[in-house]
Amino acid sequence: MSEKKQIALVIGSGGIKCAAAIGLWRVLQDENIQVDSIVGCSGGSIYGAAIASRFSTDEMQNLSKILWTSEIMQGYTENLKASKDGTLRFNERSGLVNDAVLNSTLQKVFGETKFSDLHMPFKIVATDLLSGDKVTLSEGNVFDAMRASLAIPIIFPPWEVDGRLLIDGAASDPLPIDVAIQDGAEIIIAMGFPLDYRSRFRSMTAVQEQLNSIYMNNILTSTYAFYNLAHHAEIFPVIPEFDGAVSMFDVAKIPDVIEHGAQAARKQMPHIKRLLSSL
Amino acid sequence: MMTKNDRPRVALVIGSGSVKCAAALGLMKVLEREHIDVDMVVGCSGGAIYASLIALGWPGQRAIDTTLKMWTRDVTAKRNTRAILQLALPWIFKFDESFGLIDDRMINRRFRDGFEGATFAQTRIPLFVTATDLYNGEQVVLSDGTIAEAVRASISIPYIFPPHKLNGRFLVDGYQSDPLPIGVAIKEGADIIIAMGFESPYQEQITSLMRYNYQMSSVTSNNLLKANFAFHNLAHHSEIIPIIPEFKHRIKLFDTDKIPYVIEEGERAAEAQLPYLKELLGK
Repeated sequence: MSEKKQIALVIGSGGIKCAAAIGLWRVLQDENIQVDSIVGCSGGSIYGAAIASRFSTDEMQNLSKILWTSEIMQGYTENLKASKDGTLRFNERSGLVNDAVLNSTLQKVFGETKFSDLHMPFKIVATDLLSGDKVTLSEGNVFDAMRASLAIPIIFPPWEVDGRLLIDGAASDPLPIDVAIQDGAEIIIAMGFPLDYRSRFRSMTAVQEQLNSIYMNNILTSTYAFYNLAHHAEIFPVIPEFDGAVSMFDVAKIPDVIEHGAQAARKQMPHIKRLLSSL
Repeated sequence: MMTKNDRPRVALVIGSGSVKCAAALGLMKVLEREHIDVDMVVGCSGGAIYASLIALGWPGQRAIDTTLKMWTRDVTAKRNTRAILQLALPWIFKFDESFGLIDDRMINRRFRDGFEGATFAQTRIPLFVTATDLYNGEQVVLSDGTIAEAVRASISIPYIFPPHKLNGRFLVDGYQSDPLPIGVAIKEGADIIIAMGFESPYQEQITSLMRYNYQMSSVTSNNLLKANFAFHNLAHHSEIIPIIPEFKHRIKLFDTDKIPYVIEEGERAAEAQLPYLKELLGK
């Protein structure tokens, strides 16, 4: 009997666009492809945790709708103003958003779930705010790791895990394929989302976002190129192409996002299946 | 690819790092002493200044004097009044891509005067300067026109200096796309690449939104530096020699008085890699 090759799923950062992972997951199930481990970064960590918790695709879609609403940005406008006129003092634990809504939504869904309670090995990538290092989390409460990985710099306050202040995994590696490589995956299905660029700059925030997108996309391109070259097994990139920009709270577009995820996944299926049958 | 006399082509790449980039002058001292010829120079951001001075063949002391004349604290002294109005009253003073907190007329003039109107065509060694396209995030390699314009584009420090418009493109700092542009030397056919790079320093304390922004800029650019270096190192079939000087104290943006010390550390770091470099060159 030939041994089954280890298949890992890596879901990169991309906010609401990460809901495309629901479409990818549906296609993998339809094709009866069994995934052995998952890695998630930022928005991707939510869907990774949902899959590893055996949520149905309907449940994942509902979670997307309640999560990606503008309510998670509570306090942003006021705090931005206060930080400009100096009434809000900013330090390493600050964020422009009051994170109570985000925390309670995620806690309602994932509660006290531990990594060890999940149905398959799952890891989350975050970034150490003070040292800039990439941090891989795979123990303790899934919520804590997820919240850390989701901490968009300056917007959400960092999250402390084991004495370290952690922020968005995207700041060190938006598509952490190497975590799957180190864990011995032989086939890696990697879903990533380049950030959209702007064509107009009407505020300081717009300029900041653009500069941030330039960094993240360049990190994404170089880490991907490196992993692809360094890894001896196969990496299948699944990069959905959306019709136009998908803004952060465009919940009406979720079904569309899922469909594009499924489409991008279907494109890779012949290659993945060919590889699986040849082994 | 080999040159006429079958000697490997040597490239010098100087990454971003503001005043720390003067360490490249220390590296050059060592290369000159050992009669190691450089066939091309690539520079990014602060490194673009020294890459240009080296490519022009201006000797050490002239290079230092030019830097001291060009790069003084007063280039950031004059606030851009329009930027202040744009921040305060964005609905009246329309915000656009040319935003920068500092009036860049002085720095533009300093580079024009400092490089004495020199063009890429006048360099003794082929020169490449990198910047980043603000609209698509891609690296832009500049290799013609005046050196002053290219260097200015490469040093468009985010938020401080406005992006530089060149040939219809809005260009921002080269380190936004690659803080150590080894890829340019690879594409230009270098066999041996001497790459001098600098990690961006982290904040000692984050006490304001601006400091948080600077911290994030260091976090992302250092991760970008690592990712690019790892890729180029693996992808390139010939040799990349990293030279990373270590500094005992923090060198700040306008610490030009520390240039002699910076050059010393550059020399020290170069000496450490010299045996390996000589072995590669068969010397």
